[in-house]
Amino acid sequence: MKNPFRGFSAILYKEFLVVLRDPLTLFFMLFPPLIEMIAFGYALDNDVKHMATVVLDEDRTVESRQIIERFVNTDTFRVVGEVRSVGELAAEIRRGHAYVGLQIPPNFTRDLRAGRNARVQMLIDGSSSTIAGSALNTAVGVAFRESVVTLLGETGRRDLPFEIRPQILYNPAMRSPNFFVPGVIGVVLQIATTFATAMSLVRERERGTLEQLLVSPLSRWGLMLGKLIPYLCIALFMATGLYAIMHWLFDVPIAGSFPALMVATFVYIFCLLSLGLLISTRAQNQMQALQMSMIFIMPSVFFSGFIFPRETMPAIFWWVGACLPTTYFIELARAIILRGATLADFWTHLVTLVGMGAGLFALCVFRFRQKIG
Amino acid sequence: MPDTMIQCENLTKRFGHFTAVDHVSFSVAKGDIFGFLGPNGSGKSTVIRMLCGLLEPSEGRATIGGFDVAKETDRIKSLIGYMSQKFSLYDELTVHENLQFYGRLYGLSGAALKKRYDELIALTHLEPYLTRRASLLSGGWRQRLAMACSLVHQPQVLFLDEPTAGIDPVARRELWDLLFEFSSNGITLFVTTHYMDEAERCSHVGYIYLSKLVVCGEPDALKRLPSVNPPGTRRLDVTCEHVTTGLKAVRKLEGVQAATVFGQSMHLLVSDALPEQALRDELARVGIPQADVRPIAPSLEDVFVALTNERENGAAK
Ligand SMILES: Nc1ncnc2c1ncn2[C@@H]1O[C@H](COP(=O)(O)OP(=O)(O)OP(=O)(O)O)[C@@H](O)[C@H]1O
Ligand SMILES: [Mg+2]
Repeated sequence: MKNPFRGFSAILYKEFLVVLRDPLTLFFMLFPPLIEMIAFGYALDNDVKHMATVVLDEDRTVESRQIIERFVNTDTFRVVGEVRSVGELAAEIRRGHAYVGLQIPPNFTRDLRAGRNARVQMLIDGSSSTIAGSALNTAVGVAFRESVVTLLGETGRRDLPFEIRPQILYNPAMRSPNFFVPGVIGVVLQIATTFATAMSLVRERERGTLEQLLVSPLSRWGLMLGKLIPYLCIALFMATGLYAIMHWLFDVPIAGSFPALMVATFVYIFCLLSLGLLISTRAQNQMQALQMSMIFIMPSVFFSGFIFPRETMPAIFWWVGACLPTTYFIELARAIILRGATLADFWTHLVTLVGMGAGLFALCVFRFRQKIG
Repeated sequence: MPDTMIQCENLTKRFGHFTAVDHVSFSVAKGDIFGFLGPNGSGKSTVIRMLCGLLEPSEGRATIGGFDVAKETDRIKSLIGYMSQKFSLYDELTVHENLQFYGRLYGLSGAALKKRYDELIALTHLEPYLTRRASLLSGGWRQRLAMACSLVHQPQVLFLDEPTAGIDPVARRELWDLLFEFSSNGITLFVTTHYMDEAERCSHVGYIYLSKLVVCGEPDALKRLPSVNPPGTRRLDVTCEHVTTGLKAVRKLEGVQAATVFGQSMHLLVSDALPEQALRDELARVGIPQADVRPIAPSLEDVFVALTNERENGAAK
């Protein structure tokens, strides 16, 4: 019987040499993901902290300074300047020098002492809804706390009549990197790996070496597997690097088991590389390969739940997401990294990914024609 | 015929409405050096690709060693070596690595690979370049490496698509010496070329023009064809100064049927009725007093020109 993997070791040998010899390919495979990871990671951080705030303190008392202090202590606000009038306050926000303007009216302390309703005025730049929402929440919280403390003092009670004790499981600090960074890794891996393999067969076609391979007894399985494995090794190496950045730079701990995470990554990368190969069996030149890769990459960015939750999407986009390996990987990775889930908890995701990988790989083997033209 | 290596019958390839190869039939015997000639775009590479099983023929069939190239592609793979027109080495790999790769691709390993590797290096004299990247080799050495790569599995037929294109004359001669060495080892060679001097060295030649095979046979037999030597004519070589001026002048003479420049001289096909003196007089008239005129046998180029003209005239009628 003929060996179905004829020529595999030769292709493996050659492909490793070619990839490692070509510093440009290697660079373009490894470097952009690092930059994308760092850029995305920071850009998607919507924990709002230290918002530029201007203050108009018309009262100038110990109490007024104290209340400003309370706002700053929340870590949400940062005083960047003082102004003399309400007009200036609004102007600072309009000019983009500050997001928030805090106005303490002249009779603030007097009202407070007299037990009247003491008012602080806050101007918030609503152009960014996330920032405005966060400022509003924090400010309301500060006011509420101050009121309660005052009321407790007046009634003589030492504890609150009613209290909710929320306990946030997983990501207790509710930091957004913990949510975004695993998704970023999924997307970044897809961009790097799909492009890399999409190019590899196309390049041989353009150079004419493909003809040379086709007249040899090389089998299709041997060719595809030999092309895939070197990139699999590089991508796994890269993934390890990305997890290291996630851990050390973004301070996102891996709650679950690292080996489990690597298993998920391995299967996911296999899917992506097979997808890249599938593209390269069809594309006639590098430009086509690039465009076809983009067709698969864009939906992964939007419909995988990487940024926008899939639950709130229109059904059609939800279904698009359901067809993408990235969706399953991101859910799986978040579960393992944030919630310490095991592979057994998410076996359906893993099985789906394995199925997709096997299907895509088989498809690219069968779609590959051992003829030219 | 047990000694037929390549056999084509009405081999045809169409790309859409365009017919790149049109009902081509010929055969090549074991051990031949078959030279395949034709202008650019005439279909040479397309024939080779079909013979190597890379392209599906639209019509007709071809066999190599008795195996159908389209239906038994796997069987012919071990019989043939192929060096494509834009070879097609891995530039990032060294000479050594390229050869190792092709060896492994054909299933060689260990001692067998080592033995074959040493043989090929000795044959092609690539020894001094083993650690050099393929991209840094000069044209002649690249082609040697490419040949070595296409010979790793000891094929019985070697297809070479313009192996000497863009190579200097010395390297070209050396490459042909190498080809004769392969041939003496019993390998059948199928070579495309644009060089007539290379065609003269082949044991058999075929000429393809506008997708159709015009002629096929041994060079000497072709030169004796009646349509190349029309009755009542003779071929002359005229060596003189100002060849182009002379050519224009003699073309106007009654009895000069064809005239082409050939290096420092011109080749004429003249009717027997035209005396040599008439030529000399005409040349003297345009200011060329000295001319060396001698009768010659037709060259292969004359053969191809004559047959192409004949075919075109035939088609016009
Ligand atoms: N895959 C293809 N699709 C469409 N047309 C093709 C294809 N391959 C070749 N052709 C056309 O077929 C014709 C014959 O091409 P071929 O490469 O066989 O010529 P050739 O004799 O080898 O020429 P050259 O001397 O330039 O190498 C050309 O006109 C070419 O444009
Ligand atoms: Mg050609």
